[in-house]
Amino acid sequence: MSLCRQSFLLLRRSVVQNVCFRVTETRNIKRWVSPTLKELKRRRDKIGPEPEKPRSSFLEWNYEAEIYAFGKRLGEEFDKKLLKQALIQREYANMQEFKAKEQVIVPLINFQEFPVSKETLSNTFKAVVAVLKRSKDLNRAQIFVKDFVLSQMNGKDVYELWDPQNPYEYLTTLLNEKGITEIEPRLCNQSAVNTILANFQVGLYSNRKLLGIGWGENIKIAKETAALDAIQRIYKDYVPK
Amino acid sequence: MSNKHLFLIPGFIRTPLQNGVGRYVGQLQRVVLKFCKNNGSSRGMREFIESGLVNFANENPGVVVYLKPRRHRTAVIKAEYLNGDSQWINCRNFTQEEVLKWLILLKSQSKNATGTRIKKLWHTDHPSIQGPWTPYTFRDPELNLVEFPNDILSKPAIMERSSQDELIELFNNKKIEELESKRAE
Repeated sequence: MSLCRQSFLLLRRSVVQNVCFRVTETRNIKRWVSPTLKELKRRRDKIGPEPEKPRSSFLEWNYEAEIYAFGKRLGEEFDKKLLKQALIQREYANMQEFKAKEQVIVPLINFQEFPVSKETLSNTFKAVVAVLKRSKDLNRAQIFVKDFVLSQMNGKDVYELWDPQNPYEYLTTLLNEKGITEIEPRLCNQSAVNTILANFQVGLYSNRKLLGIGWGENIKIAKETAALDAIQRIYKDYVPK
Repeated sequence: MSNKHLFLIPGFIRTPLQNGVGRYVGQLQRVVLKFCKNNGSSRGMREFIESGLVNFANENPGVVVYLKPRRHRTAVIKAEYLNGDSQWINCRNFTQEEVLKWLILLKSQSKNATGTRIKKLWHTDHPSIQGPWTPYTFRDPELNLVEFPNDILSKPAIMERSSQDELIELFNNKKIEELESKRAE
């Protein structure tokens, strides 16, 4: 093999010597590729990441169409003029006014918040609801809020949002209003008592009917969890009017 | 080959922000159809734009459709979703029916789902309605009246015979046999 290569090189050399202008092309590993890519990567890293651009700065952007589609997507009919007004931030409006007055200040012109902060988003949502109220009526706006905000509560545990401090007392007052005065907490089950994994189950009864049942590492906590369960059972069939 | 060797992100079917509980909002925000005006590979896309696009836009007023002609480049659909995802589909040599099919898929999706492996075809946040098993579920009501310490309940529930017991029994049996044989004599 090596002998073969030697002969090949000799042959090529003789060709080069004979025809001096001919460029011999060889198929081998291109050694410039890796250093070039590395250099490009180094320069790219040096500049840092590209700033994120708002979608509105793209070539394919039609504000009118976007506004139209916004209303259609949400299934609402907005007053176009009011909606546009609602989507303008106060800072941006001030800036535009400023720009109109003094056209010299160039660097300030491009100031616009991007990416949008949570506060701006929440303000804009409120503004959109207000626009809906003005362009339709209050009822429509209420349905809108119900569909988009209140539906977020779906599937959530009530006690994640509400943490009553004394559930047992709360339950007693609640039941007193309903005319039930006697609540009887009973120890239903217990296991591993006097160990670190002690476990009690307490049920709350009234007139031999179970109101709620709960677990806990001691009887007091079990009673409170039972009260929480009872509160939930009372409101199980509650339908808002 | 196991799932570990597929370079796909595992996930479940999910709906963003309780979509559909109050009302349904189509999650496709805008779509950009990029095509060439004279290249053959964009022919199907051009035909779709001529015949089917207006229909599609009418049916889906919530989707903003942009057209972007560009010379001698492959036809492409770029979709942008409400969650900020964007999806890019190469439409080289597609027929107009194929273009429409892809658009319908994009319209019905809620995000760019390429590269995800759906673990199951259903998903629930509450896999058990009954709740987890505890030592108190399905407990025998007889146990309510038992007084402890109790002789029967203090024993193990399943008592297997040990090999020693079996040996003793064998020995006893043999003794009896011997006795009986003696009697017979």
